[in-house]
Amino acid sequence: MATQAHSLSYAGCNFLRQRLVLSTLSGRPVKIRKIRARDDNPGLRDFEASFIRLLDKITNGSRIEINQTGTTLYYQPGLLYGGSVEHDCSVLRSIGYYLESLLCLAPFMKHPLRIVLRGVTNDQTDPSVDVLKATALPLLKQFGIDGESFELKIVRRGMPPGGGGEVFFSCPVRKVLKPIQLTDPGKIKRIRGMAYSVRVSPQMANRIVDSARSILNKFIPDIYIYTDHMKGVNSGKSPGFGLSLVAETTNGTFLSAELASNPQGQGTAVLPEDVGRNCARLLLEEIYRYLCLQGGCVDSTNQSLALLLMTLGQQDVSKVLLGPLSPYTIEFLRHLKSFFQIMFKIETRPCGEELKGGDKVLMTCVGIGFSNLSKTLK
Amino acid sequence: METKDQKKHRKKNSGPKAEKKRKRHLQDLQLGDEEDARKRNPKAFAVQSAVRMARSFHRTQDLKTKKHHIPVVDRTPLEPPPIVVVVMGPPKVGKSTLIQCLIRNFTRQKLTEIRGPVTIVSGKKRRLTIIECGCDINVMIDLAKVADLVLMLIDASFGFEMETFEFLNICQVHGFPKIMGVLTHLDSFKYNKQLKKTKKRLKHRFWTEVYPGAKLFYLSGMVHGEYQNQEIHNLGRFITVMKFRPLTWQTSHPYILVDRMEDLTNPEDIRTNIKCDRKVSLYGYLRGAHLKNRSQIHMPGDFAVSDVSFLPDPCALPEQQKKRCLNEKEKLVYAPLSGVGGVLYDKDAVYVDLGGSHGFQESDEARPTHELVQSLISTHSTIDAKMASSRVTLFSDSKPLGSEDIDNQGLWMPKEEKQMDLKTGRVRRKAIFGDEEDESGDSDDENDEEMSEGDSLENSSSDDETEKEEDAEMADKEYMTGKGVKRQRLEEMEEDVEVDLPAFADSDDDLERSSEEEEAEEADESSEEEDSASEGERDILESKAVGEGSKAGLSDSLNPEKSLTMKKAILTTSDSGHCTAEEAFASEDESEESSSLSTEGEDSENEEVTRKKIPESSQVVSGQKLGLENLINETSDVEDLLREEESYKEENKFPTETSGALKWKEDLSRKAAEAFLRQQQATPNLRKLIYGTVTEDNEEDDDDTREEIGGLFRVSQPARECKHKADSLDCSRFHVEAPHDWDLEEVMNSIRDCFVTGKWEEDKDAAKILAEDEELYGDFEDLETGDVHKGKSGPDTQIEDVEEEVKEEIDRSTEESAKKKHLDKKRKLKEMFDAEYDEGESTYFDDLKGEMQKQAQLNRAEFEDQDDEARVQYEGFRPGMYVRIEIENVPCEFVLNFDPHYPIILGGLGNSEGNVGYVQMRLKKHRWYKKILKSRDPIIFSVGWRRFQTIPLYYIEDHNGRQRLLKYTPQHMHCGATFWGPITPQGTGFLAVQSVSGVMPDFRIAATGVVLDLDKSIKIVKKLKLTGFPFKIFKNTSFIKGMFNSALEVAKFEGAVIRTVSGIRGQIKKALRAPEGAFRASFEDKLLMSDIVFMRTWYPVSIPAFYNPVTSLLKPVGEKDTWSGMRTTGQLRLAHGVKLKPNKDSLYKPIMRQKKHFNSLHIPKALQKALPFKNKPKTQAKAGKVPKDRLRPAVVREPHERKILALLDALSTVHSQKMKKAKVQQHLHNKEHFKAKQKEEEEKLKRQKDLRKKLFRIQGQKERRNQKSSLKGPEEQSK
Repeated sequence: MATQAHSLSYAGCNFLRQRLVLSTLSGRPVKIRKIRARDDNPGLRDFEASFIRLLDKITNGSRIEINQTGTTLYYQPGLLYGGSVEHDCSVLRSIGYYLESLLCLAPFMKHPLRIVLRGVTNDQTDPSVDVLKATALPLLKQFGIDGESFELKIVRRGMPPGGGGEVFFSCPVRKVLKPIQLTDPGKIKRIRGMAYSVRVSPQMANRIVDSARSILNKFIPDIYIYTDHMKGVNSGKSPGFGLSLVAETTNGTFLSAELASNPQGQGTAVLPEDVGRNCARLLLEEIYRYLCLQGGCVDSTNQSLALLLMTLGQQDVSKVLLGPLSPYTIEFLRHLKSFFQIMFKIETRPCGEELKGGDKVLMTCVGIGFSNLSKTLK
Repeated sequence: METKDQKKHRKKNSGPKAEKKRKRHLQDLQLGDEEDARKRNPKAFAVQSAVRMARSFHRTQDLKTKKHHIPVVDRTPLEPPPIVVVVMGPPKVGKSTLIQCLIRNFTRQKLTEIRGPVTIVSGKKRRLTIIECGCDINVMIDLAKVADLVLMLIDASFGFEMETFEFLNICQVHGFPKIMGVLTHLDSFKYNKQLKKTKKRLKHRFWTEVYPGAKLFYLSGMVHGEYQNQEIHNLGRFITVMKFRPLTWQTSHPYILVDRMEDLTNPEDIRTNIKCDRKVSLYGYLRGAHLKNRSQIHMPGDFAVSDVSFLPDPCALPEQQKKRCLNEKEKLVYAPLSGVGGVLYDKDAVYVDLGGSHGFQESDEARPTHELVQSLISTHSTIDAKMASSRVTLFSDSKPLGSEDIDNQGLWMPKEEKQMDLKTGRVRRKAIFGDEEDESGDSDDENDEEMSEGDSLENSSSDDETEKEEDAEMADKEYMTGKGVKRQRLEEMEEDVEVDLPAFADSDDDLERSSEEEEAEEADESSEEEDSASEGERDILESKAVGEGSKAGLSDSLNPEKSLTMKKAILTTSDSGHCTAEEAFASEDESEESSSLSTEGEDSENEEVTRKKIPESSQVVSGQKLGLENLINETSDVEDLLREEESYKEENKFPTETSGALKWKEDLSRKAAEAFLRQQQATPNLRKLIYGTVTEDNEEDDDDTREEIGGLFRVSQPARECKHKADSLDCSRFHVEAPHDWDLEEVMNSIRDCFVTGKWEEDKDAAKILAEDEELYGDFEDLETGDVHKGKSGPDTQIEDVEEEVKEEIDRSTEESAKKKHLDKKRKLKEMFDAEYDEGESTYFDDLKGEMQKQAQLNRAEFEDQDDEARVQYEGFRPGMYVRIEIENVPCEFVLNFDPHYPIILGGLGNSEGNVGYVQMRLKKHRWYKKILKSRDPIIFSVGWRRFQTIPLYYIEDHNGRQRLLKYTPQHMHCGATFWGPITPQGTGFLAVQSVSGVMPDFRIAATGVVLDLDKSIKIVKKLKLTGFPFKIFKNTSFIKGMFNSALEVAKFEGAVIRTVSGIRGQIKKALRAPEGAFRASFEDKLLMSDIVFMRTWYPVSIPAFYNPVTSLLKPVGEKDTWSGMRTTGQLRLAHGVKLKPNKDSLYKPIMRQKKHFNSLHIPKALQKALPFKNKPKTQAKAGKVPKDRLRPAVVREPHERKILALLDALSTVHSQKMKKAKVQQHLHNKEHFKAKQKEEEEKLKRQKDLRKKLFRIQGQKERRNQKSSLKGPEEQSK
């Protein structure tokens, strides 16, 4: 059999998630060498190991081989299984790190995925669960992944470094995806947000809201920022606060920005007003990059998700207009090429005479006609 | 006799006469003029019953919806691939004759021997690939998967044969292609009636198998060994107009019916080891879905495509034309395996033309050419070997050159050499000759030859020139003569250009070049990368051309020659896919142009730089710059981009010498240049950034470019950015590094329009639309009051209104006309409303259909304007293209035992379809298969593209979802089957055959079904009964032993249900200490020591991981249908004469029944007491022992007494005898007496009866009389 012949090889731990996710979807084994080989502390970190364990939980028949030092990883994917799963994520990275990959895999399981993830819900490096809930879920709905059981719920909030948050994610299973044509983002009609605070004074959230509104009110009146103060067992193990903002356009595009306080014991303490103001500015920045003039239809965190789902569609043309491509997305495109032999037609829309906003990129591709091989035919 | 010949009178059904008659008839009936019965007599059509009406409505709706198919996106390409027509039938039914006749019908050409597929142009928009299918089941299975249309030949004189039904069943499983039956041998019937009957019988049988009304064609008889022209013509017409429904498997997978095969293996390798793995190239039309390079395909066995390229269509459809039919030149035929086809010079071999279809007018001339081609095909030495032995004379007086001469000089890559492609050619030229000149001269020569050849072909003069040509071409040229001189020249140019490449250091792709050369050194030449590289170059050129185009608009008159070259460049890019950017530099004026171009680039570059230098204090930053800065600040990845950009700039800067001369241009073209630069920076760079560097990355990993010290140690030089890039943080967030100051008004203004509160575009601004609306619908009439409100009449945009305006002006004078106009308008509005309203009622189905249609349109339109080379990159090779596929590591038997009669099908595999796992299916033994199937017997499946042998397990699903193993398949029921094998998408049909070798007397298809589920583990279980025996019994509790071996095992089954054979249920409680494995169990009743306790458990079974592809194509010619894989145990036993040792317990023995011994009945005392005396057991108390004194002494008689006793005995015997006799006598007497008495009684009764009768009669008479008198009484009295 030619199964062993077409495995792919990479070096370095960067983009580990992409590689493993694409490997799982394409069924091609992947070998990753030199994982932090020259580091003082070589090999896989805890959060990566936890991610691999998660993959093992949701698949059936995967083969994972890691050498003694953890610098080489061989992953032969099995079939996506799904079902009810619980997973304790590492507190080094937030749940968003795991959830991003799960969003890519969840629609292609054998049984609908119902997973409980425990760990850090909001931190400063990864997209938080709030943002993913507000932006990624509507994006998946565009591809026809919808239904009653499609939900992402934050049961408990946990801030770094202690963690203790809990998230419930469930996603229905689809056999095929719809192609999309997202080229007109529309105009922003409302801004919603979530100011959360755990194990600090509930007043913090209100202060964040006020400061954020002070900036955003200049643009649009339809702003509502919810405050979410979780108490007791729902508040995790560490104190912290933060804000995530989402701007929704008339055509159902969502742009997001978020900011969280420094974890306890790291860095200087930040004022909630600063968090609110800076987050609002980040949102404006995002709007500037993605929406100014012709506009992109998917925000920066979900670019790769949108591109992946376009690739996995039927053999039809899908189009999406994006803002400037993030380095993560660029690498993702390369990986898509090596795993699926798919190349995107990239047309740059230069930004008008006034030279405003970031470059817009029109990405076009023909889906590979992916069908969910795991789903059982009744 | 005369009357018989006369025609019958026919009534007129139409025309004035009939009309008149009808009218008269209606008048006769006094119905008036009304034709429509519904109007004439509305009462007759009134609703009689609401229920019945509802029912009929339902029924019509049901029928309507039944017609719906789930709409699918129409993905058929604009130029579809030829339709595969499979001509199938049992032997000696006339398949080859039919194919020959069809080909002759379409092309006016007669093929003597047909091997493999034949492609012909059958009409303006349709091509056919006709292939014959014998009755080898391997071929039948393969062809059923690719067929679009099946011509099923049936020998009418014989009737249906098993092959026909087998093939029908195979078709059914693999998606049902169109099937048309063709009855042959109809001339063998003597009587017309019999013929008619047979036709009818066959037709109806055919209909039950295919569908009622399926087309069955009759070929009545042969004329000169051929079918009748008219009938063949009709059949051809049927084929050409036939419509097809897309089949799921075929539309979702790319596949190729191979019509040509070449061996590309290095002859040296073959010489050293004849059994070495081969490298082959296969040709054919791509069908189904898009094929991606490097994807997996299934030939027999899975292979990765090492390279794909598309070729000019050898059997192209005619150009667009208005004519009704094709002319002779357009009726092409292409069948390389049979030795027919256009001239084709390509990478692998040379094909010599036969002069096209019109060259075949002088029929028998075809023979020698055939032979020539035949010799080319059937040659056993490969083309490379032939090339090695061939000799070329370059100049008239020089000694002939062999390939070894050339090899010795320039060849440093034996592996490359066997590929015989451009690369080696290029290298060789460089080494030996004064390269380019010779090459170009050479090609010029060829060019001339080519032209003359074209002429000569037209004149159909001689072949030797072509042969010479062929020899010359052996030196690895690639072009195609059939397409004419123009194309060929282009391709030559391309070659030249590629040779010239290194001379131009300024080309902006030296990066790619170097990488390409590295690849070449690595000796795993991947032309895909090359393609992408050239692609990139071409893109740059295009963008340049675009930029130039905009500039040309400004300065076209100034620089006419430039525009000319530009046009040329565009022409070349559009014309041939292989053209690269370097073409633009090929000629002198072109290079001049390029220099001017680059100066522009440089200028704008400078501008860019200066702009960058402006400090960021002024916060109004150009968007582009911002984007750039953002990118700059991204650490790792974007460095690549920058580096690349820089290198790109440097490249551009190179030819600055000429810039002075063209300075006057600057001002004119500055603006254009700016736009151009932006374009340039964005498009190709982004593409290059994303896809161009991928190859680099890989190379970095693979390359061993590290220095060696002392041959032992290596200096490790970590690639700087590579390292920290490789191990940096894996995060998808895109951080903003240089945020704006959002407090500033200008910055805020920059995004204000992104909100709904901001300014909208012209066509969407609410206020504006409102204003427009007012203009449009300004006039309105208040219907209640009758007032007419008039709006200001402004300039109208709509055409209708303009028309109306004009009308208004004309008819202004009269009031009436205004009114009329008003009415008209109203009517129009109403119509519009109606139309809209009707459309609004569109069903879900219509919406879905519309959506699909829209998607199909988008699919077609998206890549339409791009040339093939670019399209191939984005969407893969699209169906309809003629492609060449290279595959490596093919077993040598594939080449050695190649038989063109056996079709080779390359089936593309989807993602992870190349993996193996457990496949679960729903399976049913075929109702015509004689045996049942046994679990764990190897069987051959045909699933997806594959045919393979595997070991399935059959199971059935219990009500609780448990999958229980079955030993055999059920007779007339579906069951499940699981095997270990290649993963195939759910819903795919499959069939199973027990063996593919030889001819079996019975129906060969053993089972059919559908794939249900794919998994990496299985849950099939079989029943396992554990038995134990009680060793101690309390009331309802017992201690059981012998079921388990340890307390641990018991612990696992605590609480499990157990049962005795007699049916007492119980439960395992807890393990006991004493005998190991014993446990306490409680039951619903007390056990007996003789009871056997058992527990039902389920034991998972494992499936043998056996997957063996059917490699029938590798068998030697003539033995292809003898493939046999693993044998079943039954077959093995039979072969080796091993008798199965039966289990002793299973043997039948004579039944020995023991005598049943019943215990005496014991009735409890209490019960006895309650019984009535009658039923009480009458047990006398046992006489106690009689004491001795009471014991009576025995009597001893005297002889005399004994005599007396004997006498008394005798007397009593006599007496008793007498008494017995007397008793019998008495009994008889009594009987007689009884009889006599009975008789007497009867007589008495009879007498009495008579008496009574008499009495009653008298009494009755008396009564009647009385009655009469009483009735008459009063009347008599009145009388």
